[in-house]
Amino acid sequence: MANILLTSICNRSCPYCFAQREMADASSDNMMSWDNLIYIADFLQSSGERHVSLLGGEPTIHPQIVDFILYLIERNLDVTVFTNGVVSPARLREFEQYFGNGKVEKLTFVCNLNDPVLTPAPAEETDRLDAFLSAMGPFVSPGFNIYRTDFTLDFLFDTINRFGLRRYLRLGMTHPIPGKKNLFIHPDEMQQLFARLYSYREKFDAFRVKPGLDCGFPICRFSDEQLGWLRRISDPQFSCGAAIDITPDMSVYHCFPLSNYKRKSLFEFDSLAQIHDHFARLRGQIKAEIAGIYPECDGCKYQEENICGGGGMCQVLVRFLNEEPVRMMEIENELAKNRLPL
Amino acid sequence: MSLPRIVCPYSPPLLQSFRGRSVAVRVDDAARAAHAAYDVAQSGNELFCVIVESRLPLQDISLSEELRGIPLAVMAPSMGRFRDASEKIKAWRNFNLRVYLPCDGAANITALKILSSLGVQSCALFGIGHDDWEAISDLMTYAVLGLFPHASMEPFSFIAKNYDAGDYLDWGALYFDDPKKFLHLDGEGRVALSRAEREAGQFVAGCLAECDAAPALAAVRERTRAWTANFLNNTVCSRCPGWKVCLGKFSALLPEGSGCSDFFASMVEAARQYKRLTAPPSEMQVWRP
Repeated sequence: MANILLTSICNRSCPYCFAQREMADASSDNMMSWDNLIYIADFLQSSGERHVSLLGGEPTIHPQIVDFILYLIERNLDVTVFTNGVVSPARLREFEQYFGNGKVEKLTFVCNLNDPVLTPAPAEETDRLDAFLSAMGPFVSPGFNIYRTDFTLDFLFDTINRFGLRRYLRLGMTHPIPGKKNLFIHPDEMQQLFARLYSYREKFDAFRVKPGLDCGFPICRFSDEQLGWLRRISDPQFSCGAAIDITPDMSVYHCFPLSNYKRKSLFEFDSLAQIHDHFARLRGQIKAEIAGIYPECDGCKYQEENICGGGGMCQVLVRFLNEEPVRMMEIENELAKNRLPL
Repeated sequence: MSLPRIVCPYSPPLLQSFRGRSVAVRVDDAARAAHAAYDVAQSGNELFCVIVESRLPLQDISLSEELRGIPLAVMAPSMGRFRDASEKIKAWRNFNLRVYLPCDGAANITALKILSSLGVQSCALFGIGHDDWEAISDLMTYAVLGLFPHASMEPFSFIAKNYDAGDYLDWGALYFDDPKKFLHLDGEGRVALSRAEREAGQFVAGCLAECDAAPALAAVRERTRAWTANFLNNTVCSRCPGWKVCLGKFSALLPEGSGCSDFFASMVEAARQYKRLTAPPSEMQVWRP
């Protein structure tokens, strides 16, 4: 799967945003063009890919998002739009006109929801979000990014019920951006965070909502009881793989937190498999030095068997940058000396 | 030698005035296309295609189910918004159709790419002034060497497939502009050698029957050898690396240095590359004394 970034502009400023770096570096006219979109669709289809996600910034800001979605669906791609749901009234009317009442199949929205108490938003944003969920609810899966250990999920169950959203909750854990100061979950806080998540199990069961874990959740910080519950109701993954983000200027990188790390141009590759191989090599180089976010990741059987990714690579890279910069420099110098690809 | 096809407006009396010809009938409204196709068949002629010359964008052109299987050339000024055209484009894949769009702006160049990528055959109209040759060159590269299989986009696909380093290639017939293959009739049955000449009122014969007369035949012969004038007059086209696939089509239309030369040179290079890519693998031959 690949993510197409339609724009780098966002209409919110979430304190944990891990796309900060990407958005800070981009100009406001940096929007995905038709030509590039057609090239990407060709690229994905020639790679045998059948699914694509549209991201931003906030992708619904792109003036041609409706056309782009319809085009990608016509190209036989399943489309997922990751949005914050703060959609302008004009854009919402377009969505209703072209996508409402199941007019198109193969389209899903994942709406990132913030806790209205812990991460309050202006009334206008809340009204727009409510309008979006009212109109598109049945096509929306909720998403939630955990960026503090005292998070609550109660409002999510209420929102799912109120707007008839899909009963699959995408749970992300916020990650550090190397070199930036965003809010994120530190490795030491993860066990506590998972315990809190588990405390909501009765609500998950009662509302028949399935949790889906995004990248970077280390398996060892879940208790057996917690894992049993997760396995019973969903298919949790504990990996860290390349998301493959493609920007409007056709740069490609591993994921948002690592948007500045070894980014390449899409034109340097012939297929999605080549991009995955490229980033897998980079991960391998880093993991050869530090296996994961905890000391015990080194030699961990779950990691060796590819059951767990040892936390997010961005967390590992932050350890490099913050704790052992000289070591990283040595690696880079050595690789350069031997003319090995970085 | 087969008789040239007739390109004429949809007019039942006009169609009745000749027989046994292959006819491309012109209509200005897609709603009349099925009637026109039917009347051509009834007139004792053979339908080559229906040319829909619409002033509406593609998003506003509807093709009825009766037209399935009938060869259609749909000429429109633009595509319109994709969101409004998408439902039609989806249906058009099942028609025997080619969409003609002018390359007079970035939107239409993108539209051609969109149509081709969605499996609708298309044809680019260029050389009409204000051409962005660089953008047309990008379009040609996409059409000929694109990553993923897509519908043909003329004239690029035709040139790439038929390019022969040792011969000239004329692709005017794609636009019905080749007097060896198409004669254009106006509503009164007068004969012109091209669409442009018909529109300008330049006729070589008063009716189809007169086409066998010496002056008309001489005009056709002169037209088919018009390209030689470039060499006799030593025009810039005679020194152009893209000559073999252009034949100086734009020498009278475009000012010198307009960029068409670079484009056609790229076209030749792309055609060569296409030939290399699609050449059947040579059979391995064991060396023998």
